[in-house]
Amino acid sequence: MAVAVEYYLLLSAAVFCTGVFGILTRENALMFLISVELMLNSANINLVAFSHFYGNATGQVFSLFVIALAAAEVAVGLGIILVLYRNFDDVDVTNATTMRW
Amino acid sequence: MAGAFDFTAAVPLLPFAAFLIALLVGHFAPRLLPKGGAIPGILATAGSLLLSAWLALTVSQGTYHTETIYTWVVGQNTFDLHFGVLVDPLSAMMLVIVSLVAFLVHVFSLGYMNDEGETGLPRYYAGLGLFTFSMLAFVVADNLLMAFMFFELVGLCSYLLIGFHFREAGPPSAAKKAFLVTRFGDYFFLIGVVGVLATFGTSRFLAVSEGVESFPHLAEQALLAAQGEGATPEHVAGFLDVVGFEPQTWFAILGLLILGGVIGKSAQFPLHTWLPDAMEGPTPVSALIHAATMVAAGVYLVARMYGFYALLPTVLAIIALVGGFTALFAATMGVVKDELKQVLAYSTISQYGYMMLGLGAGGYIAATFHLMTHAFFKALLFLGAGSVIIAMHHNEDMWDMGGLKEKMPVTYYTFLSGSLALAGIVPFAGFWSKDEVLYEALIYGSGESPILLAGYAMGLLAVFFTGFYTFRMVFLTFHGDARTDTAESPHGVGWNVKFPLVVLGVLAATVGLINMTPVAKLTGEHIEFLKDWLAGPQGSAYANIGYEHYHHLLVDFAGYGANESLGVLVPAAVSLGLALAGAGLAWRLYSVPEPVEHTEKLGGIKTVLYNNYYQDEYQVWLAEGVTLPLARAADTFDQGIIDGVVNGVSSVSLFAGGRIKRIQDGIVTHYAALLTLSLVALLVAFGLLGGWF
Repeated sequence: MAVAVEYYLLLSAAVFCTGVFGILTRENALMFLISVELMLNSANINLVAFSHFYGNATGQVFSLFVIALAAAEVAVGLGIILVLYRNFDDVDVTNATTMRW
Repeated sequence: MAGAFDFTAAVPLLPFAAFLIALLVGHFAPRLLPKGGAIPGILATAGSLLLSAWLALTVSQGTYHTETIYTWVVGQNTFDLHFGVLVDPLSAMMLVIVSLVAFLVHVFSLGYMNDEGETGLPRYYAGLGLFTFSMLAFVVADNLLMAFMFFELVGLCSYLLIGFHFREAGPPSAAKKAFLVTRFGDYFFLIGVVGVLATFGTSRFLAVSEGVESFPHLAEQALLAAQGEGATPEHVAGFLDVVGFEPQTWFAILGLLILGGVIGKSAQFPLHTWLPDAMEGPTPVSALIHAATMVAAGVYLVARMYGFYALLPTVLAIIALVGGFTALFAATMGVVKDELKQVLAYSTISQYGYMMLGLGAGGYIAATFHLMTHAFFKALLFLGAGSVIIAMHHNEDMWDMGGLKEKMPVTYYTFLSGSLALAGIVPFAGFWSKDEVLYEALIYGSGESPILLAGYAMGLLAVFFTGFYTFRMVFLTFHGDARTDTAESPHGVGWNVKFPLVVLGVLAATVGLINMTPVAKLTGEHIEFLKDWLAGPQGSAYANIGYEHYHHLLVDFAGYGANESLGVLVPAAVSLGLALAGAGLAWRLYSVPEPVEHTEKLGGIKTVLYNNYYQDEYQVWLAEGVTLPLARAADTFDQGIIDGVVNGVSSVSLFAGGRIKRIQDGIVTHYAALLTLSLVALLVAFGLLGGWF
């Protein structure tokens, strides 16, 4: 018995909003990274859900690529966090305010 | 076979080579330059003179020449700009005059500059060379734009040479004045050149080949069309529609604009004030530039494009009146001057006034004739004055001279020859030409154009003053007793001073014989050689720049008609009588052993004359009292209003930017919040506009 596509979309929206909320409220860079992962995965849920809905595997393949991309992004993000820590002795993003006018 | 015309370009280029030699060798290896650059200059001008004479000989056989040397702007669907040469009787005659005077002046400079131990000679001879080059190139120019360019170069050389003694106070200021005053006229000339190019699409003086047009001819066709014959040339008609004038009016405006340059360069009222000051330059320079050639450029230009001016009766009348007035006006100022060169300066202005009167009065031959005789006798007088100045150890005040007659006979007799020519005493050169100018003004004035009679009257009155100031100068300088120790034992002058004087002295006495119109009319002999020379060939394209053609234009377009009932004897006798009266008065007053000043008898007029009718004062007032406040007001407007608007716009952006940049605080969370909120706001906006809710 298949679950209706609307529920997947609701789930995806909930996960995305959680991610956005995390980015807007957290100060820890690691939490940032985790929130961004949440947002990316909400997009993955959408891709898989529609793929299933239309009976076409393209979306699922696409989500595999997104997962690979997310891994790469985490690698870059962790690098940034390391540099952040080295320069500010902290991973609090609100401290790093030198890159402005 | 190589003919004379193959070497046309060499005539101006030889002095240019002398200029380069004097400049470069004089700068890098002054030891290699004999006589400070005089030798290359003399050789080059002698070469130019020989080539010019050869050209004149070739032209006298009836073969003329025009050629495009170099096209420096090629127009797409419009006109080209080019350098070209035009060798016809007028330019050939002028080439001979200019190169001859330049040659003699170079020789004279050996005596005046080298022997007097002047420094900076390479600079001097470079200036003379560049000047000769520009003037010769101006003379052979076949189009108005090229003429304008060399006209300007001539002005530049004048500036450089007047300011030769730049360490003294007077010369640099005189040089600046000469440059600025002539530039003022040239400004109008420039607009005129642009106007001619825009109206006619060409600035050639003459067209000989197919598919080429000349602007005087196009103007003639347009005016014929306005009278109902033929069609206006297409390009001209198109431009006349744009400016919205009748052809007659528009051409008169163009003619007057070009006349602005002529008035500046030929030192006509009211732009004559630079010429007396220009006497600060070395005397040979005064002879070359401010008497015989550069000042002639203006008059020559009018003669060169006479086919255009002959169509415009209004402009002709203005030329005649300006000329007649200048002739009288300058002659009266010359009467009270104490310095030798100043008298000559005012007489130069006055004589160029006669030429303008002649041109305006339809006396093309007469004016050209006077241009030629004046070039010789005025160069002679200036060189004679130079000789006197050498002898007097550079004192120019005539009241310090006297009695030089016995001590320097060569200078005296040649100077006397020049003075007789200037005063217009028969049979010296000036009599024939000046008389012809006045005669033309009289017959056309009493014929169809009565306004010319005003010019004639002023010209006739000026004859008296000319006779007076000329002989006042001669008597004060050479006659009586020596009034100072210097005049008692003058410095001797060498062959290089005497040779040019003798050549020019002979010419001043004899050159008038080439066109003895009164004698020809009385005896019926065919002896008007200059008239034949300038008449132009019939039936070829060159006929358009011949006298015969100009005469037709004057009759058909300007409505000039001669009063043939006047004899030639009475007008000639009147002008000769006035000249003799002037000379006689000078003889009465000044030919005594101990002459005294008689200017006190003039009363209040004396002050006015000494101050040159306050011409300088009112022009300075125009500059300081009118132009300067106007320029200040314009500057305030520019700085305040125009710049204010621009600065205001930028300060608004600066202020706004200063405020808005504060939202960029470096905290990445805030950026993310802004992004999210903006996206939401955008979505809501789209939703509202798209009608989702």
